[in-house]
Amino acid sequence: MQMLDYSRVNEKLYHETLPNGLQVFILPKSGFSKTYVSFTTKYGSIDNTFTPLGKDEVVRVPDGIAHFLEHKMFEKEDGDVFQKFGMNGASANAFTSFTRTAYLFSATDNLYPNTELLLDFVQAPYFTEETVEKEKGIIGQEITMYDDLPDWRAYFGTIENLYKEHPVKIDIAGTVESISEITADHLYECYNTFYHPSNMLLFAVGSVDPEEMMEFIRKNQASKTFDKPERIVRQFPQEKMESAVKEGSLEMDVSKPKVHVGIKLPALSEEGLQGLKEELAYQILIDLLFGKTSKFYTEAYEEGLIDESFSTDFTAEEGFAFSVIGSDSAKPEELTRKIYDTLQRASDKFPFGQDDLERQRRRRIGFFMRALNSVEYIANQFTRYAFNGMNLFDTVTALEALEVKDLQTVLAPLADEQARTVFTVKPPANGG
Amino acid sequence: MFTETRLTQGVRLYVRRTEQFKTVTFSIRFKQPLTSEGASERAVLANILEDSTETYPSRAVLRQVLETMYGTLYYTDVGKRGGYHYLSVNAECVDDRLIRDENITDWTIRLLADAVLRPNLQDGVFKQQVFEREKQTVLERVRSLYDDKTRFAQQRLLTLLRPEGPESIRATGEEAHLEALTPEKTMAAYRRMIDEDEIEIYVVGAVDEEAVTSALKEAFHFEGRVPAVLPEKAERGNGKEGRVSEKQNMKQGKLHIGFSTPVLFGTEDFPKMQLANGIFGGFPHSKLFMNVREKESMAYYAASSYLSRYGLITVSAGIDADLADKATKLIDEQLEAMRAGEISDEELSQTKAMLANQLREALDSSRGQIEIFDQYKDLPGGFTPEGWIAKWEPVTPEDIRKMAEKIERQLVYLLSGKEESADANA
Repeated sequence: MQMLDYSRVNEKLYHETLPNGLQVFILPKSGFSKTYVSFTTKYGSIDNTFTPLGKDEVVRVPDGIAHFLEHKMFEKEDGDVFQKFGMNGASANAFTSFTRTAYLFSATDNLYPNTELLLDFVQAPYFTEETVEKEKGIIGQEITMYDDLPDWRAYFGTIENLYKEHPVKIDIAGTVESISEITADHLYECYNTFYHPSNMLLFAVGSVDPEEMMEFIRKNQASKTFDKPERIVRQFPQEKMESAVKEGSLEMDVSKPKVHVGIKLPALSEEGLQGLKEELAYQILIDLLFGKTSKFYTEAYEEGLIDESFSTDFTAEEGFAFSVIGSDSAKPEELTRKIYDTLQRASDKFPFGQDDLERQRRRRIGFFMRALNSVEYIANQFTRYAFNGMNLFDTVTALEALEVKDLQTVLAPLADEQARTVFTVKPPANGG
Repeated sequence: MFTETRLTQGVRLYVRRTEQFKTVTFSIRFKQPLTSEGASERAVLANILEDSTETYPSRAVLRQVLETMYGTLYYTDVGKRGGYHYLSVNAECVDDRLIRDENITDWTIRLLADAVLRPNLQDGVFKQQVFEREKQTVLERVRSLYDDKTRFAQQRLLTLLRPEGPESIRATGEEAHLEALTPEKTMAAYRRMIDEDEIEIYVVGAVDEEAVTSALKEAFHFEGRVPAVLPEKAERGNGKEGRVSEKQNMKQGKLHIGFSTPVLFGTEDFPKMQLANGIFGGFPHSKLFMNVREKESMAYYAASSYLSRYGLITVSAGIDADLADKATKLIDEQLEAMRAGEISDEELSQTKAMLANQLREALDSSRGQIEIFDQYKDLPGGFTPEGWIAKWEPVTPEDIRKMAEKIERQLVYLLSGKEESADANA
C-alpha cells in the first residue's frame, strides 16, 4: 500500500492496485462520523458501441442501458439491496453519468458489513426477463419526471443539438421506446464487458482506518475469481467541431423563457497535470467572462437579461468537452447576442491580465479547500479525474502553474462561432 | 455541542470549536413571526444585503474582494420554521492556517458586521436601483415555482390544507406584497429586524472561542430586545378535505396527499412519529417505496415527509395520472397496514438505524451542525445527537401502530397534464 502525503491540504491518501486490477483509494478524515464509499466503473451512457468481452463483432446496445443496468444491480434473487443497507443503517445510492456508473453508500456504523455488501452486490449480477420487464415501468416514470423539468430539457436540448454523432447527445436514461428493447442478455453483455475490476475504482473516505480497510478489501477480492483483464474496445464516431444544429426550441409550460448557449469544445489535449491546467484554464476563463464579477454579468443583471438562475457549466471527459451558459430570460435573443458579443470582444482584444488571474487563482484555491470538507466531493471528483488520467490533489499545483497565456490559448475554441448552438424553452405561444 | 454566550437580551452567540473542517462557518439568524407581508419584505431585504455594503458598494466590487479573500462565501437566505420567518446572513472562509500570512477569519467578521450594520444606502434608504432590481429578482424567484411542477404541487397542497396558517406562507413572500414594496418600507423592515428580532449567531470551525467571542462582541453592538414567542399550534382552519384535481401542460401526474396528525415537534410522541413516518415513506426500505415503486412499478419516487411543526405528513409520488386512484388506494393500504400492526421488528430496527445514521451524517457538515442544533436546542434537556438517538431506541411496533392511528388523511391533490400536451418544435 502506497501513502501519498498532500501536506499542503493536510490530507493523506492511501492507494493500492489489487491483483485483479481494482484500484483502491482510502482517505481518512479525522473528526468525521461517516464513511462514504463509492465503487465506480468507467462505463456510462456514451459507451453504447463496443466489442463485447470474448466476441469479435462490434455491437450497438439500446440507449439508456448503462442507467438501466445501474437500476437492476439493486435487485437480487433474495431481495432488494436497499433493504440490506437499511438493516446496517447505511444509505445507499447510485448514479450514471456520460462516462461513469457509481454505486455508493454512506454510513456511520457497520463499515465493514456495508463495504462487503457494496462489493458483493456490484460483483454479483442477477438479471431475469421478468425483473427487467418490471423495471421498465419505474424507469419510464423517471424519464417522464425529467421530461417535465424545463431546466433539464433545456440543458439536454442544447447538448443534443451540439453533436451530430457522438453519443453524449443521447439522454443518459434513454427514452421509453429505447428502454423497451432492453433484455437480460443485453445487461449481461454490458456487465461482463465493463464491470471487470480492472475497469473499476473504489474510494473510501471519512471515518476509516486505511490499513484495516485495505486488508478487508484485499481479502474480499481474493475470495472471488475473475477472468483475466482484457482491453475494452469501445467505438466512438468521428465528430466535427462544428455544431450539428445551430438553433432549437421547445414549448413547455414555463413562466419565462429559458435560454442556453452551448459551445462544443475540443477534448482536453493531455492527461496529468497539463490536462488539469487546461481544464482549470477553461473554468477560470469562463468565470472571468461570465462570472459574478464580470462586466457581462453586471450589465446583463442590471439590464434584466438574466436572473438568479444564470449559470455556466464546463464539462470535459475523455473524448469530448463542452460549455453551456444559460438563464431564465424575458429577452432570450438579447441575452444570446450579449453572450456572443462578449466572446467576440474578448477575441478582438484579450481583456484579462495578471490581476484577474491572481484573483481567480485565489478563489479557486479557497474553493478547493472548502470542497475538501465534503467526503462526497472528494470521492466523486477523485474518481472522475482518475478515469481521465488526472489527480484531484494536483489542483493547487496546477492552479499555481497557470499563466495568462494559458487562458488566452483556450479562448479561441470557446469563441469559435461554428461550434455554437442556442436552445430556448419557450412558454406556450397561446399563453397556456 | 456549542458554547452559548448571551450577548444581550434576545441576542445569543453559539460557538463550536472543531478541527473537522478546513473552513470557518458563520451564520447570523434574524427571527420574527411569519406573515406573508413580512416574508416579502425580508426576501427582498436579504437580496439587498447580499448585493453590496457601504464599504463595498456594488455587487462586482464586493464579489471581487470575496474572490481575493480566497473565495470566501458570503450569502443571505430566508426560510421558515413553524410560525417563524428567518433571515440569515452567512459566510464561510478558509481556515487561516491553510493560507500563509493572511487573516481571513477576522476580515470575514468585519465583512459580516459591515453587511448587517452598514448597508449600501443613499439618503438614508436603500438605493433605488438596487432595490428595484432585487425586488424583480425575488418576484421572478416566486413566479418560477410554476416551472417546477413537483414543488408547485407541494405548495398547492399546503395552501389547500392550511390556507390561513404559516404552513402555506412562502418564505420568499408573494407577488402582491412584493409588488407593493418600496425602498422606504424595506428600510423600515430592516430597522425592525436590527432592533427587534431575536438574533442567533453561530460559528463553527477551528477558532479560539474566546478570541472569536470578543471579536464578534466588538464588531456587533445590538441593543437588548424581547423575542416574540408564539404558541406551538396546529390548526386546520378552513383547510380543504377530499380530493382536488388541477391541470397544467405536463406529462407526469404529481400525486400529493396531505395527512393531519396532532403529534407535534417536541412532544412526547414526537420521536415515535418520526419513526412512524420513516416506516411509512421516509426511506428506500419504507412501505411506500417497496410497494408503490418496487412491487407495482408505478412510480420512480414515492415518499412521505413529516412536517412536525405543522402536524402534517405529506406523501408525494410521480405517476401516470390514469393510475391516480390505484396509487391513492395503495398508499392508503400502507397506512392501514400500519394501523393493523403490520410492522415487523426488521422494518422498525432498519428505520431506527437509518434515522440515527441520517442524524449523525448531517453533523458531518458545518451547516448541518448549525441547522440541527438550532432546531433542537430549545427542547427541554437540550440536545445531543446520542441523547436524541436514545429516544428512538425503546420505541416498539405497538407504539408505531398507535402513531398510525393518529395520522388521518385530509386531502388528495393531483396535478396532471391536459389532453393536448405541448410538444417539441425544434
